[in-house]
Amino acid sequence: MADARDFHRTARMLAIAWIALLALMLTSLGSAYLKLGPWNMVAGLVIAAIKAAIVAWLFMRLREAGRLIRAVAVVGLGVWVILIALSGIDYETRSMTPAAVQRPEQLPSPRQGPPGRRS
Amino acid sequence: MSAIATVPEPRDEPDIGKLGMWTFLASEVLFFGGLFLAYLYGRTHWPQGWATASRRTDVVLGTLNTAVLLTSSAVVALAVACEEDAKRRRWTSRLLALTATLGVVFLVIKGVEWHADWHEHLFPGAKFALDVPGAQEFFALYFVMTGLHAVHMIVGIAVLVVLARGRDWARAGHLEIAALYWHFVDLVWIFFYPLLYLVERHG
Repeated sequence: MADARDFHRTARMLAIAWIALLALMLTSLGSAYLKLGPWNMVAGLVIAAIKAAIVAWLFMRLREAGRLIRAVAVVGLGVWVILIALSGIDYETRSMTPAAVQRPEQLPSPRQGPPGRRS
Repeated sequence: MSAIATVPEPRDEPDIGKLGMWTFLASEVLFFGGLFLAYLYGRTHWPQGWATASRRTDVVLGTLNTAVLLTSSAVVALAVACEEDAKRRRWTSRLLALTATLGVVFLVIKGVEWHADWHEHLFPGAKFALDVPGAQEFFALYFVMTGLHAVHMIVGIAVLVVLARGRDWARAGHLEIAALYWHFVDLVWIFFYPLLYLVERHG
C-alpha cells in the first residue's frame, strides 16, 4: 500500500510541520512582548489558529479525509461558534456587571428595579 | 434476528472508527468551548483583574510545555506513518512510548507549575494573593482549564501505553484513532497557551 517513497514524503512533511509549529510558537511568544494593545490578543489567537490548522490538516489528516469526516469537523466548530455568539450576546447585554464595551448610561441602575426594555 | 444476518456488508462506507472519534471530538469542542466562553466573559468584564492575574502565570514553563506537546503530536503522527509501512512497523511501539513519555513530561512540568502557584497563593481561596476584582476568577478558570486538560492527557497517555505494549492485532485500526484524540488534546493546549500565558505579558 505505502512504499518507501510515500513514507519518506510523509516523514518530511511531518518534520516541516513540526518545525513550523515550533517557529509559530516562538513568534507568538515574541509578539506577546510587543506593545500592540488589543492586537496582542489578536496576534496570539491568529497564530494559534494557524497552528491548529496545521495540526488538523496534516497531523489529523483532514487533508486526506473524506467529505463526511470533514463535515463532522466543521459542524463541531460551527456549532461552537454559534453557541459562543448567542451566549456572548446574552452576557454582553446584561446590566449585571456590565462589560467595558457597554456604555453605562444605556443601562438602568440595578437598584431601580429590573432592567426595562431599551427603546 | 435472521434478517440482520442477511444484510450485506456495506461497501464504500467511511471508516466508522475514525468517524466516531471525530464525532466525539466535535462534542469535546463544545465541552472545552464553554471554558473559552467563560474566559471571554472574564476578559471583557474584569480586564484589570484578568491582566494582573495572567501576568502571574509562568511563561517559561508554559512555553516549554507547549513545545513538549507539539513535539509529542509530531511523534505520534510519525508512529502512525510507521505503522502503515511494513518495513518500519517495528518503530511504532517505540514512537508511541516516546509520545507517552513526552505526555508524562508535560504533566510533571504542569505539576511543578501548579505547586509554585499554590505556594504563591494563586489558588482561589481566603489567602488569595491578588487584590484585584476578577483576578481570583481568572485563576479559578486557569485551574479548571489546565486541570481538565490534564485529565485528558492522563487518558491519552493510558491509551498510548496500551497501544505501545500491544501486538499488531491490537493496533490495527486503533492507532490512528488514538492519535486523533492525542492531536485534539494538543489543539486545545494550542489555544490555552496564548490565552493563559501570553496575554498582557508586555505590561
